[in-house]
Amino acid sequence: MEVTIIYMKDDVCHFLIEGVDVAFANALRRTMLTRVPSMAIDEVLILENTSVMYDEMLAHRLGLIPLVTPLEDYNHPDECDCEGKGCSLCQCTLTLEVEAEGEEKLVYSGDLMSQDPKVVPASDKIPLVKLAPGQRIIIEAYARLGTGRENAKFQPVSTVAYKYVPVVSIDTKACDRCGVCVEICPKKIFRLEGDVLSTQNTLECSLCELCVKECEPNAITIDSKPDSFLFKVESTGALEPTVIIEKALDILKERIRIALDFANLL
Amino acid sequence: MIIPVRCFTCGKVVADKYEEFRRQVRQGADPAEVLDNLGLHRYCCRRMLLAHIDIIDSFMAFATIGAEEAKQSE
Repeated sequence: MEVTIIYMKDDVCHFLIEGVDVAFANALRRTMLTRVPSMAIDEVLILENTSVMYDEMLAHRLGLIPLVTPLEDYNHPDECDCEGKGCSLCQCTLTLEVEAEGEEKLVYSGDLMSQDPKVVPASDKIPLVKLAPGQRIIIEAYARLGTGRENAKFQPVSTVAYKYVPVVSIDTKACDRCGVCVEICPKKIFRLEGDVLSTQNTLECSLCELCVKECEPNAITIDSKPDSFLFKVESTGALEPTVIIEKALDILKERIRIALDFANLL
Repeated sequence: MIIPVRCFTCGKVVADKYEEFRRQVRQGADPAEVLDNLGLHRYCCRRMLLAHIDIIDSFMAFATIGAEEAKQSE
């Protein structure tokens, strides 16, 4: 198994993984989606809300805010010594207290005051509600660790997808340099320079095979490598993409170990 | 009512990009380009911003009257 990072910027990571089968690639994808824990607001205590938004809506919006998660510092409530009651080891309190005095005021996720300076909204520019003059909200919110299996708000990733690695080959003898493929390709894979048809950024190819359909002398073939996958991981900001991948692999390994132990008992 | 926090389909956070999107589009920028620059590449996230209409301001017109009346009666 070989991993090559192709692109990495802020919350996005594209990497190539070679020498694995589809089952593994999909297991890795599903682990990242549903098993990697991250923090989100789970319980909300509304002390005062005179805004135009219903309490439920406000609580829902709060729940969707991705929170930066220090994985080492918190326990999953189910595994915590407090047996899920909620203690400082498995829960973090955030408070929101805003009043619009003279004029209209937009409340942002950045207005949330966290008990733990490490657990803060990944983006502090998310508008939560707009307050008219005189309106006020006082809210106490409790964040905890959870997994995507419970609720999608706990997913550390917004999208994880993989695709086969495309192999675009041109039969130079058959090609009549008509340039149709250059025009038709939505990802601009082909380039016709003078008398030579070449390919560029073939990893971008979406395997749509439009070029194969349109090429009259049948000079283009699109194939894919059976054991290589191109992953695209997009984090919500709760965890770094690299942390998500490493953590997912750890969890996957542990789950395989448990399954094997069980199989050996039979 | 107000811009949804996340994309309905993929779960990407879109709310924090809405104000910047609206500001630039008002200044006459091409919405498609603004969306590209904001990093919204999938059409599910793009429609979240493109098709959104903020109606919280219309609600607030009514709520303000209520709040003021409540204050006066105190």
